[in-house]
Amino acid sequence: MAEKSDKKKKVKVVTKEKEDLQQLMAAPIGLSVVGQSLDRTDAFLKVSGKLSFGADYPEEGFLHGKILRSPFPHALIKSIHVEKAKQLPGVVAVLTAKDIPGRNGFGAILPDQPVICGDKVRFVGDGVALVAAESERIAEEALERIEVDYEPLPPVFDPIEALKEDAPKIHEKGNLLSYNKLRKGDIEKGFAAAEVVLERTYQVPILEHVYLEPDIAMAIPQSDGTMLVEGPMQAPFTVRRNLSAVLGIPINKVRVRQIHMGGGFGGKEDSPIDIGCRAAVLANHTGRPVRLALEREEVTLQTSKRHPMVMKVKIGAKKDGKLVAFEGVIYDEQGAYAGLGPVIPPAGGSHIHSMIMMPGPYEIPNVKVDAYLSYTNHPYGGAMRGFGAPQVHIAHEQAMDELAEILGMNPIDIRQKNAFKQGSVTATSQVLDQSVGLLDTLDSCAKAFDWDRRYRETGYLDKERTKRRGVGIGMGWYRTSIGTSSDGCGANVYVHEDGSVLLFTGITEMGQGAFTVLPQICAEELGVRLEDVRVVQPDTDIVPESGPTVGSRSTTLMGNAIVLAARQVKEAIFEMASEMLAVPMEQLEAKDRKIYDQKHPNQSVLFREVVAKCMGKGKRLIGQGWWAPPMASLDPETGQGNPYFVYTYSTHMAEVVVDVETGEVEITDYVAAFDIGKAINPRTVEGQIEGGVAMGIGYALMEEVVLKEGYIQNMNLQNYLIPTSLDIPDIKPIILEVENKYGPYGAKGIGEMPNIPATPAVLNAIANACGGRVRSLPADPETVYWAIKEKGGPPKH
Amino acid sequence: MGTVKISFKLNGCDMNVEVLPNTLLVDLLRDVLGLKGTKVGCREGECGVCTVLLEGEAVNSCILPAVKVGGKSVVTIEGLVKENGQLHPIQQAFISEGAVQCGFCTPGMIMNAKALLDKHPHPSDGEIRSGISGVLCRCTGYRKIVQAIKTASQAGGRK
Repeated sequence: MAEKSDKKKKVKVVTKEKEDLQQLMAAPIGLSVVGQSLDRTDAFLKVSGKLSFGADYPEEGFLHGKILRSPFPHALIKSIHVEKAKQLPGVVAVLTAKDIPGRNGFGAILPDQPVICGDKVRFVGDGVALVAAESERIAEEALERIEVDYEPLPPVFDPIEALKEDAPKIHEKGNLLSYNKLRKGDIEKGFAAAEVVLERTYQVPILEHVYLEPDIAMAIPQSDGTMLVEGPMQAPFTVRRNLSAVLGIPINKVRVRQIHMGGGFGGKEDSPIDIGCRAAVLANHTGRPVRLALEREEVTLQTSKRHPMVMKVKIGAKKDGKLVAFEGVIYDEQGAYAGLGPVIPPAGGSHIHSMIMMPGPYEIPNVKVDAYLSYTNHPYGGAMRGFGAPQVHIAHEQAMDELAEILGMNPIDIRQKNAFKQGSVTATSQVLDQSVGLLDTLDSCAKAFDWDRRYRETGYLDKERTKRRGVGIGMGWYRTSIGTSSDGCGANVYVHEDGSVLLFTGITEMGQGAFTVLPQICAEELGVRLEDVRVVQPDTDIVPESGPTVGSRSTTLMGNAIVLAARQVKEAIFEMASEMLAVPMEQLEAKDRKIYDQKHPNQSVLFREVVAKCMGKGKRLIGQGWWAPPMASLDPETGQGNPYFVYTYSTHMAEVVVDVETGEVEITDYVAAFDIGKAINPRTVEGQIEGGVAMGIGYALMEEVVLKEGYIQNMNLQNYLIPTSLDIPDIKPIILEVENKYGPYGAKGIGEMPNIPATPAVLNAIANACGGRVRSLPADPETVYWAIKEKGGPPKH
Repeated sequence: MGTVKISFKLNGCDMNVEVLPNTLLVDLLRDVLGLKGTKVGCREGECGVCTVLLEGEAVNSCILPAVKVGGKSVVTIEGLVKENGQLHPIQQAFISEGAVQCGFCTPGMIMNAKALLDKHPHPSDGEIRSGISGVLCRCTGYRKIVQAIKTASQAGGRK
């Protein structure tokens, strides 16, 4: 009885608050935070202009760093004279290669890019000297006073030319950075059994990310010898590792702190290493804080790009459309430095990812892929939303349509026949044993788009016969992990005495919504509200190792770590609540700031009361979770194994109108369906879908870094075009949830997938509309015009 | 280079400043006056993240000499928030419609939307898309931004 009255007392305390009383009456059912389209936690600061990006930080006390860049794509440095620059008043330091205290090389995978080039430059934009001065203007003037004597070397700009024996050697070990192969089944027998064989070559240009926030790094030497580097970054731990080597100090003397990021799209995985190391070298030398902020042109010149590729595809099929053999060759251009191209065993690196993805989301018994990654004297390739997958999707999705045309099949029928389903075996012989919703995305997309009717009704729109309507499909798959040992994710959850929560992770917010989605998972697990959880900006001194924010891995991998961390705390809380409510622990549920007796939902205690009591009794309210996916495997000789533990699937459908006289393309409708396991925040998922598709449309229609003899011709946004509001239709997203048994609440990744099938969907729609097939991007009006000509002019009917 | 004295209205307040003839409005706002809500993305008037209102018109502050605002009225993103902290309906709609991702274009986009709604309180989707085409967004694909502006217009987006 005494216990019971105690319980009543607790309830009484609760009923003081009107809101709590109302909620007390309602029994807790299902999820209350996860699955909700809650407002972004950072939206208020962003709409009010109060959020500080790196460029908004006070500059007082900072020196300004500038980089002297190579004017040649390939040259020896014969001599360098910096005295005149040093004499300029306001110049504090002018550094050359000999001034690097530790390793003179950085890179996300292979540190082959000099912090400051000593003997040789390998692309236009390579850094040959660093200046720190009291103002940006003085630093710029100092650059002009540095005298460098170069001896130009013959350059090489083509990934295939670069592999020839007599090609100029860019690095000592030769121009072949990586050669990877995939072998499944018997390719010869496969083609022998084929009734139709299609051979095509597709080519994609080099792309710029165009995150709107230009890169910035601030290096601030600390009095204890620690180097603090701040900036917008996707991979703070990779930056830290590089800083440690370049400065020649242990990792625990390097502190990397994240600040708000204005877009990344993979690009801010590499570039913060570059400018972070350079700013830190200057700060280390001068003993003063150094700010290194890039202008837009410098971003274009210096930072990583999406790999351009030449892709050869040979597909063999039966007359009914069943695929029997796939052979692919990828000539992947890495550019001057390794960036994120080569492989970290077993599966990391964009190049091997391209190889794995190349045959598409289709079951094919016999597969052979050879993938060559070449150094050239171009800007270097890094990660860009899809990490080598967008390129190969452009190849296989166009090839599927070209094959369907030969077979006289509807493009969706040939895909239906070959698409992955539960139990399918991939090209790496991985058995897809769970969460395979590819065909669901095809069905729902086709229904929403009304594919069958629209596919029948393509043709001229006007009497003048200038505009033709067409439809196109793109299917795709994408991993939810990196596929290396650095996939492990740590999260710390601290619950405070008032019931408020701090969440520590190393995952960075670049706009994708991690700082809303991750605390949603934490809040759901603890039974509190989103606003009760504050996410701490990643700071390598205080957050656990988390790996980089890449590979569409954050929600799933870090989500699991958060669930595990929250559960540790929840156990202590439930122990206490069990005592307070006199109910066994397993009968309790935490929801909406209360701990309930599941059997008698009106019996509850407030979360904060239990927490306060836990504190009073010395219970641990700190949780640490660690989660790593099942270990990846991939045989280096055969490319066989399980490189990634789960995949997201998607189908896109686009309608275009092509002006057959001018080659202009207008996208008039777009539906995209995704199996993402579980949408933690559906509106944020929609945002990822709509933005990713828009970027894929840009890739299809307009984007290309134009290079002439190694020099970028479109350095700013005046002539590097990205889609405006007038280029993108209302994209209709469809979210499907085929549970991932390894994901938090069943979730899989979404960040990159939307970008991937969008490009081929548009290209297929163009071909469907006008007959012209664009096999070398972008499909700008001129290219489409010539593709129509090549086909013998516009269709007659 | 001698400085030039200019007087103008900034977010409703009278300002008297001395600037160099080549000082750009965005640098005056950010570096001299400390209003960092206006962003810089390209410095050549292409990306539009630096958009502010000059006499109610959306302008790229990164290519506009500061001396040109003499005697005129300038409104920045900071000027949209009421003194009591209440957001403008456009700002509110950007939150509720999920029109914000990285947030770097957001101030410029919102200022552009404000100029649009002040002129056309009830624009069509097409008018919205034309109206904001001078500001680039790399994150959203624009749909939710268009939706937010529509929502704000229905809520009476004019201040």
